[in-house]
Amino acid sequence: MEDLTTLKNKAIDSNLEDTIEILKKFYSVPLNQDIVIRNFSISGLDKKATVIYINSITDSEKIEEHIIRPLLTNNSTEKKLENISPAQLLNTHENFSNILQDINNGNTALLIDGEPKAYIFSSSKFQGRSVEKPLNEVVVNGPKEAFNENVIDNISLLRKKIRNENLIFESITISKNSNNVLYIVYMKDLADEKLLQNIKDRINSLDINSIQNLSLLEQYIEDKVKSIFPTILSTERPDRATSFLEDGYIVLLMDNSPDSLVLPATFWSFFHNSEDHYLRFIFGNFIRLLRLLALLITLFISALYIAITNYHVEMVPTDLLLAISATREVVPFPTIIEILMMEIAFELIREGGLRVPNPIGPTIGIVGALILGQAAVEANIVSPLVVIIVALSGLCSFAIGDMKLNFSVRLSRFLFIASAAIFGFYGMTAVLTIGIFYLVSFYSFGVPYLAPMTPKYISSKDTFFRKILKTEQYRPGYLKPKDIVKKKESQ
Amino acid sequence: MNSMDSTKGKIGLKELVAIIILNVGTKVADNTPTIFYEAFGTAAWIGILIIGLISLIPILLITKLITLYQDKNLIDIILHLFGKHIGFVLLFTLCILQIFTNINNTSIYTDIIGTMYFSKTPTVVIYLLLLGVAAYGAKKGIEYIGSSAWVMLFWICLSLLVILSVVFVQGEFNQIFPILGTGGLELVKGSYQNSSILMDFLYLALIASNVKSATIYKKGIWIGFVIILLAFVLSLIGYVMLFDYYGVRMFDYPYHETIRYIEIGFLNNVELLFFPFWLISSFIRFAFYLYLGALLFGAVFKIKQFEYVVPALAVFTILAGLIPESSVFSMNDFRVIFLNLITPIFLLFPCLLWITAKLKGDFKNE
Repeated sequence: MEDLTTLKNKAIDSNLEDTIEILKKFYSVPLNQDIVIRNFSISGLDKKATVIYINSITDSEKIEEHIIRPLLTNNSTEKKLENISPAQLLNTHENFSNILQDINNGNTALLIDGEPKAYIFSSSKFQGRSVEKPLNEVVVNGPKEAFNENVIDNISLLRKKIRNENLIFESITISKNSNNVLYIVYMKDLADEKLLQNIKDRINSLDINSIQNLSLLEQYIEDKVKSIFPTILSTERPDRATSFLEDGYIVLLMDNSPDSLVLPATFWSFFHNSEDHYLRFIFGNFIRLLRLLALLITLFISALYIAITNYHVEMVPTDLLLAISATREVVPFPTIIEILMMEIAFELIREGGLRVPNPIGPTIGIVGALILGQAAVEANIVSPLVVIIVALSGLCSFAIGDMKLNFSVRLSRFLFIASAAIFGFYGMTAVLTIGIFYLVSFYSFGVPYLAPMTPKYISSKDTFFRKILKTEQYRPGYLKPKDIVKKKESQ
Repeated sequence: MNSMDSTKGKIGLKELVAIIILNVGTKVADNTPTIFYEAFGTAAWIGILIIGLISLIPILLITKLITLYQDKNLIDIILHLFGKHIGFVLLFTLCILQIFTNINNTSIYTDIIGTMYFSKTPTVVIYLLLLGVAAYGAKKGIEYIGSSAWVMLFWICLSLLVILSVVFVQGEFNQIFPILGTGGLELVKGSYQNSSILMDFLYLALIASNVKSATIYKKGIWIGFVIILLAFVLSLIGYVMLFDYYGVRMFDYPYHETIRYIEIGFLNNVELLFFPFWLISSFIRFAFYLYLGALLFGAVFKIKQFEYVVPALAVFTILAGLIPESSVFSMNDFRVIFLNLITPIFLLFPCLLWITAKLKGDFKNE
């Protein structure tokens, strides 16, 4: 018996029986239950034929109606095959590997006795959910469709928003065994060729058996794997992906991923939210301000508390200081232990709440917050002020919508806590300065992380605050888009 | 499309101005004002204006040279004008001076942090952290020092503005009299002696080739110059308004006494609200200084990747900066003498460069 791997690259035989036998071997029939091999003869042509498909990922009705029945009821002796069957003929293949790949993709192969090739008809129908509301990037104003696991749906959602022939969906097979397909999406008349080539090079250099989805792919192609800051943005909102595409960014889509990757990403793309632009100028900037405040509070408040109570007591007005020391009197731990205990407890509640089965989800929060906080205070393990501070820092962290930035901020917070415990304000400032040095020298696919704030590029200057929509005239210059002007100033 | 590649490693106008402001401007918040008050009395703010006036000549000459030799920095110009051997001697002198200045300044800043904020922390630890952070920044390179300076510039300026406005509200305006302080002639003499306070403008020419263009360099220098003089004048008036002439002379660090002294609303002790901003500018300042030191060192000893000198230089600075602690003379006194000593270099060196360029006939090509 020939080895299957060598057989794979061989051309099929014109003898139908032999070919079927080999295909059966490939699919381990009858071990594999959902492989359907149907033999029949084409009337009119009077030839034996076989269709083979996987019924769990195909539309059986369509195969029955559009492929098999026309062949069975055919009377003409001259008609060509593609004219008999109304189903879409995708391709004809001669060797096994191509046939197998098409069958694996949910298509149907038709083999005819005496012909050394297989006709491939489109018939795929994968199971999946329909287009639903976004779960993570919730907005009040604006569209409420989200990407789902079916890439064709996702493409359709993007095409719906950009009706332009320059919108390209380039597909690349990125893994060898599972044949996962990645779609590189870009505007042909905007995206920078060098950037596109850089991304393609990184993807093509991968030699991996299987990459199931974008979350995994991201970790293969990102700039600095060990960095605390993310360099690729994920979004589940097609409207957000669209606005990035229209600015000259590049978007990646994949089957089985209910989101898209946007690259390159700057700090600002993580900080922003689509609602910032859907709201009016003032309102949009108001929520930006809130988000900035939340970011600062999450990062600094616990560390500030430690620094002030341990090193800089004189800062606090006397009355407040007395109040603090009165509540701290009964607590046996140093502030750093207190804060760390509560911070870790909060993180645990958060993680636990996330993993807990749905019906008891809400209760966990209440139990966590009420019982733990209240009981800890009553047991004199932590002071009430610490509960307030940790709760504030925890709550504020939810205002940072992007999950990756959220993680970065939550983790850096611990750096600040540690530095505050060791060195007070001096340590915190040192960590902050190092952080700034780090961020300004950080790149995502060649784009500086804090651009366009520094270094300067032509752009719409959308950083902490956004400008009036009419005056956002330029695409971000750091992407080197082929056309920098996106709107003319209206009078 | 090539625009980005050719500007890689270069800084723009914003970053240059930020570097200048943080590096020279931070001096209003160390012991520099005290030197001024001792030399000029209440007329310290006039003193800095005269210094500015005197410094116009060297700064003008340097920018002239920079615009003449496009894409060359001070090192290239020195080597071009004086050849290998004399060039080496000059660069070596500059290098020593720069490193000395850095040792002197870092040890003063360590003293500020130690005496004003962390009196129980060992000096070594304070010094290590200060230079550790600065070395991290310096090793990253000039474009990132510039970017960091720009990111923080707004907040640092804002903190200074808040302080100044509080000082002007809480201070006594009458205390700025007598307006001429120590008197006319003394003013001019003292200004001349201390004009090396703006020596940084000579060092800034070292990074001229890292600026996007000579025009931007020129623009940045003058914008920075004006802002710095303004900051100096306002702060020097402010401190006197708050503490009076006698009081302010008693302090080593008037800025830090100021933020201790002022009250904002219900907060009696606000110094720690401003301390972090001062610290950030100090970190960035010493990052720049270390970078310059390494750059000069690299130029003298022909080390192409001079960034690798930074850690060693930082360690050396700490070791050298710690010595005077046990010694009889303090860094503050040393700084006064040092400033007076290097003044002729600051004033004459650019003239020397300019005259040599003139004699060489390089200006004819303009």
